[in-house]
Amino acid sequence: MIAVDAVPDPLVVREVVARYGERTVLHRVSLRLRPGEFLALTGPNGSGKTTLLRTILGLEAPVAGRVILAGRDVEAYSVRERARVVAWMPQQEELRENLRLDQYVLYGRHAHLPPFEGESDRDRAAADEALAAVDLRAKAARGILELSGGERQRAVLARVLAQATPILLLDEPTAHLDLGHQLDLLSRVRHLCRERGKSAIVALHDLNLAARFADRVVVLDRGRAVADGLPREVLRPELLLAVWGIVAEMKEDPRTQIPYLVPVLPPSSTLRVPAGLGRWIHVVGGGGSASPIVRHLVDEGYRLSVGVVPLLDSDTEVAESLHIPAVVELPFAPISPSTRARQRELLAAADAVVVAPFAVGPGNLANLEDVEPIVGQKPVVLVESTTTGRRDFTPDGAADRLLARLRARGAVTVANLPELTGALERRLGAASTGAPMTPGPREFV
Amino acid sequence: MAVADPAAPDSERTERSRALHRRWTSVGIGGALVALFLIGVLFGPVPIPPATVFHILAYQLTFGLLGGSPCGAEVSAARCGTLVLIVWGALVPEIVLAFAAGALLGLSGGLLQGIFRNPLADPYLLGISTGAAIGAALLFVFNVGLQVANVALPLFAFVGAVLTGAVILIAARSSRSSTETLLLTGVALNAFLSAVLVFTLIYNPVGNLQLDYWLLGGVFGANWPNDGLIVGGLFVVGVVISLEARGVNLLQLGGDVAQSLGVDARRLVSRSILFASMATALAVAFTGVIGFVGLIAPHLVRRLFGYDYRRVLPLSGVLGAILLGGAFDLSFNVVRATELPIGVPMAFLGGPFFVYVLYRYRRDPRRGW
Repeated sequence: MIAVDAVPDPLVVREVVARYGERTVLHRVSLRLRPGEFLALTGPNGSGKTTLLRTILGLEAPVAGRVILAGRDVEAYSVRERARVVAWMPQQEELRENLRLDQYVLYGRHAHLPPFEGESDRDRAAADEALAAVDLRAKAARGILELSGGERQRAVLARVLAQATPILLLDEPTAHLDLGHQLDLLSRVRHLCRERGKSAIVALHDLNLAARFADRVVVLDRGRAVADGLPREVLRPELLLAVWGIVAEMKEDPRTQIPYLVPVLPPSSTLRVPAGLGRWIHVVGGGGSASPIVRHLVDEGYRLSVGVVPLLDSDTEVAESLHIPAVVELPFAPISPSTRARQRELLAAADAVVVAPFAVGPGNLANLEDVEPIVGQKPVVLVESTTTGRRDFTPDGAADRLLARLRARGAVTVANLPELTGALERRLGAASTGAPMTPGPREFV
Repeated sequence: MAVADPAAPDSERTERSRALHRRWTSVGIGGALVALFLIGVLFGPVPIPPATVFHILAYQLTFGLLGGSPCGAEVSAARCGTLVLIVWGALVPEIVLAFAAGALLGLSGGLLQGIFRNPLADPYLLGISTGAAIGAALLFVFNVGLQVANVALPLFAFVGAVLTGAVILIAARSSRSSTETLLLTGVALNAFLSAVLVFTLIYNPVGNLQLDYWLLGGVFGANWPNDGLIVGGLFVVGVVISLEARGVNLLQLGGDVAQSLGVDARRLVSRSILFASMATALAVAFTGVIGFVGLIAPHLVRRLFGYDYRRVLPLSGVLGAILLGGAFDLSFNVVRATELPIGVPMAFLGGPFFVYVLYRYRRDPRRGW
């Protein structure tokens, strides 16, 4: 597309490389901020968010690349000129003196004052307006250290607004604020973008806040911009796992279409976990029967594998979304010998086996048959809720006979998820801290 | 409209009481300066009747236009000459020098505390005063003729002060504004430079150069040409330093924030160290090394007038003048008929007072430094 912009974008960052000593903290980062845009800059701790903001401000000189503010290279600005284009709210502002709030906000006018002259009525009006924009006008005569945490953050925002710049760089403006104040502060910022045409880059840890307020999200990971786009496009489970190492799903509020994040406990191989202690459970399921069990056990901190489940089955999808290895068979096809062999490996390696209340027909009878030899070798728990209804769809009642045999040989039956937890804990016991861990399910699939 | 805003009366009252407070403090400051001046001239080392002192002052301040004898009718012409020499030739220049040097040290201390955001920054503690003294002492070591000494002294002192300031600046930069490193560097530097100074003063071709004067400070030997130089310098430095106040204010929010607000923080700091060195050098060149003024004056000002450096800087100068004026008055009257080095009463009262201020601050950090 050929388009000639009459007005340049407020901010263009082009292939910026920044270093602290030997360590490269930004690797060729590029981004573009558009007029009136609320851009959330997110990424784990140490991903380079603060450094990027500082580089845009000219506080850090990039080793390579360019920062272009309103069409001009940032280095071409004088300190004063730049302060009229871009304002910065640091992650933590050192407020040590009990300045009067209105005086503090007037500090934001510095770059607008003629040298050696005091503040004019225009500056006082701008400061007053900034205070009004954050609802702090009534406290103008208060000392800044007498304000509450939320008010203080708003006071800093007022100082930033008094600077009257088209670009705002806010570094974790909601840190240390409670949820109400977080929402309040960010809605104010978004309002400023929508109504006053300010463009803001807001570094945010909280992905839900980023998804809720941002027009666009840029994700930094170890100094690289790994994603840039609409919140719902960017915050995908694969990215969340790759960048943050968390398993989570983005859902969407059906009324507001606002995406939100539902995190699941991290895969237990990466975490010291409370109840499950990293033990490996293989869940035999299918037809959606395993899904609630799998979700529950993941939350309990177990490592899981799932077998044999049909492709496109909801059990399979749940396993995939949680990044749990699953042995999968084609839908409506009988379980093939090679698939059976793979499940047998998992059954042999797991610490315990849970059999979900799935319906058994001739095609998946093998699922139960393969459990039989391991009963007695390791804990086997059968989940059979009273509402399950008919399970056996084999012509000769083979499934029911098999289930009875499993029980007779020592498999435990539980009726619900809490009972399942109890049964597993009793059977597996408390893992001693130094005990060698069984290899993870991943090594087998 | 005078609709009662529940918050208004209170804030108005505090506003009015603040203004009142300020006015009375200003009157107090003016009164203190006059009182200290009068005490200095009336209770000098030689007892002179107050009427005679006032007569001499009035005669000199009106350039003899009043006519008659400079000392009044009762005093003989022969004795009058001596008295004029004591009052107008020695005491008044000395007290003016004390005021001016105090003001310079107060300004210097206020500025250093502002740019380093550190209540312990002070030209003496950071070694800048001692550096200036070495510069000045070297002039005597090289035995430059006394005709140029008046002008050359502050210049040599300035070189010594600026070189020390540069070391402090480098320390401040490399320690990334770590307070401890900066101060420890200053203390170590000061100890080192003091040793150099003592060595220079004792072992030099000229002979023993008034050790106590250089190390503890003194205003004896003040004369009007020197006073003219230092007061003129004070005026220039005072204006220049006060013009930095706005930037120093913003610097209190942190160097980076100040930079984002349009203050070139690095330049401001370098420039300020230069100005503080200038002020210190000017004082040290004519009074030797005097501690505590630069430390205490800004403290008191912040306590009395708040944190706005547009007030803190000029008033640190005024309060420095009061402090050193007071020390001058005491230097005659603690031990009768002996003029103590002015730094002695200053440190004698300044030390305990400083500790008191430190502990008070600890109890209520909200009141700032």
